[in-house]
Amino acid sequence: MQNLILANLLTEPIGVAHYVVVSAFMFTCGVLCMATKRNVLGVLMGVELVLNAASINLIAFGSPFLRNDANSLGLDGQLMTLFVIVLAAAEAAVALAIALNFYNNHDSIDVDRADELLG
Amino acid sequence: MNLTSLIDSLLSDTLQTSLPLFGTELALCGTIVFMLLVRVLKGGQHVPPFLLAMTGAIIALWLALPREGIEAWADLGRQELFTGMLVHDTLTAYLRVFLLSFVVLFLVLAQLTGLADRDDGQDFFTLVLGATLGMCVMVSANHLLTIFLGVEMASVPSYVLVGIVKGRRRSSEAALKYAIYGAGAAGVMLYGISLLAGVLGSAHLPTMAHELAALDIPGQLAAGEGGSTVMVLALGGLMMGVGLAFKLSAVPFHFWCPDVFEGAPAEIGAFLSVASKAAALALLIRVGFGLGYLPEDPAPSLAATQPAAAISMVSTSQIPTSQVAYQSETASIDGSADDPLSPVRNFFVILVAIVAIVSCTFGNLAAYGQTNIKRMLAYSTIAHAGFMMMAVAAAVALIGRDVGHAETALSALLLYLSIYLFMNLGAFAIIAFLRNAMHSEDIKDYAGLIRSCPMTAVMMTMILVSLIGLPPLAGFWPKLRVLQSLYEAGGPLMITVLVAAGMNTAISLVYYLRVVKVMCIDPPSDTQEPPTLGFFSTAYILVVALPVLLFGIMPEKVAEWADLATKNLF
Repeated sequence: MQNLILANLLTEPIGVAHYVVVSAFMFTCGVLCMATKRNVLGVLMGVELVLNAASINLIAFGSPFLRNDANSLGLDGQLMTLFVIVLAAAEAAVALAIALNFYNNHDSIDVDRADELLG
Repeated sequence: MNLTSLIDSLLSDTLQTSLPLFGTELALCGTIVFMLLVRVLKGGQHVPPFLLAMTGAIIALWLALPREGIEAWADLGRQELFTGMLVHDTLTAYLRVFLLSFVVLFLVLAQLTGLADRDDGQDFFTLVLGATLGMCVMVSANHLLTIFLGVEMASVPSYVLVGIVKGRRRSSEAALKYAIYGAGAAGVMLYGISLLAGVLGSAHLPTMAHELAALDIPGQLAAGEGGSTVMVLALGGLMMGVGLAFKLSAVPFHFWCPDVFEGAPAEIGAFLSVASKAAALALLIRVGFGLGYLPEDPAPSLAATQPAAAISMVSTSQIPTSQVAYQSETASIDGSADDPLSPVRNFFVILVAIVAIVSCTFGNLAAYGQTNIKRMLAYSTIAHAGFMMMAVAAAVALIGRDVGHAETALSALLLYLSIYLFMNLGAFAIIAFLRNAMHSEDIKDYAGLIRSCPMTAVMMTMILVSLIGLPPLAGFWPKLRVLQSLYEAGGPLMITVLVAAGMNTAISLVYYLRVVKVMCIDPPSDTQEPPTLGFFSTAYILVVALPVLLFGIMPEKVAEWADLATKNLF
């Protein structure tokens, strides 16, 4: 069954499914990156991967060329992506500033050093 | 439909319908921009930022209050703003007044404790008002984009606020943890949103509900087909739940809460535990009712969404988008057991109920061993958030059968939030003033407080007893009404929740009373010099804490407002 789906993906013309496979892969990479990296910058890169995976999904679902049926998201998908790009930039800026503040106090940006407060 | 008529309808929707109801948010935006720019002007550095922020917050509050008195809420209908992005109804109106009243009180507290009187005062007030703006968007969200936007607009300034005091190791650590967890949760939530929007072909909540009804999930499940669609929907819902649970600090996404509360200044703790929780609960209500309930008459929302759909039509030239849902036959909405949305509701109710039970129990049990008062209150916040989520679960469970009872459950929740404002703001204000006086936030250092600051100790005792929910004080009434709604909802799950809620009230007795015992019975330590509070601090504590007693004796007025705010919500 799995083989069949993959075979279909290879033979079919490019459609929403291909984009969703790519974005699912990116999402998994991002979550793994967030879970395993010990460096704050690495974790933030994982977050960016996850946000961009969602953006790919939104674009693919909204595209009239990939999904030519009534069920398409339409421009909503592309608009949401634009907002996500801006929000991701804002969030990265704030997170980097906080990481810098952490570095000034701890001389390190290793998340394992953040152990004074025991959650 | 040609371009001119399109632009005309868009303009009239924006200028005549949306902007007048959007005044609160505009006032907040204007204040933020003005506060940032005034420094550039000549002599602008000498304008105290507190005055600017306070003026802005009061104007916003005045705009949020209805012109004709609170009673005007009784006949305030549901109105979609900005082509269905936001929704203005009594819930929005009530919670906006709630949020802005809180912000006004909070700004006074920040000024009194001196958190914002350094040269970074402007930044502090900008961040507070920015987060409030995000929370206002959260409570009125009606579209997946505004849901995500609101969550981010409320979260990002909060990360900075947690680390606002520079040069403190714990503060920077708390901010880092909050930012990392928050960014991760937001990413997962956005992925869930993209899945939901992709499967349902719309991001507008009522349209999504129509699509869900048209999918006919009960029929599909009975026929044993369409399992993959349902699975993707469930996965998307769960991922979106991650983001919501993070904002609510519900177990299993509560790790940040105790750390952040301990590391951040006590004032920020008050902000996060009252305003942020209220906005997150409102968002939970929006999602639960937006996807799990179809209003009887979809005509008004059709009118509101038409410009958006039409614009997409013009731009993509042949793809009709959101109005397709309305052309599909209206599903039977008689509230019977075979309601096409009942599986959505069941999924939501089971999820929220279980998370609520676990959060409530975990919060209360973990609060036992704490030595830091802020950390103890963080766990108490988790427990209270769980309790409030029970009301949401009851309301969504009731909506399929009886709209009136669902409204009662929501009114219980709104009453809970209003009382909780005074309890938690009071508690954190006392902690902040005592921190300034004795440089300690450990429970054991509060020993003998009844002798050095009798008034403060009495007020703190009152607030803690009210947090338990004992009868003469205000905390009792909302708890009673939530339990009542759970009983109305019936069914094995809700009765389990009811029993858990009752038991948790008993569990919570011990750790709140331990603090009372330390303050009132234990002898003062020799090393700690007795703290003294100034006149303004004591006055502020009195103003915030006395309502806990007043509303306990006569809760009719607040309960009446909460009832008004939910009367014709559906």
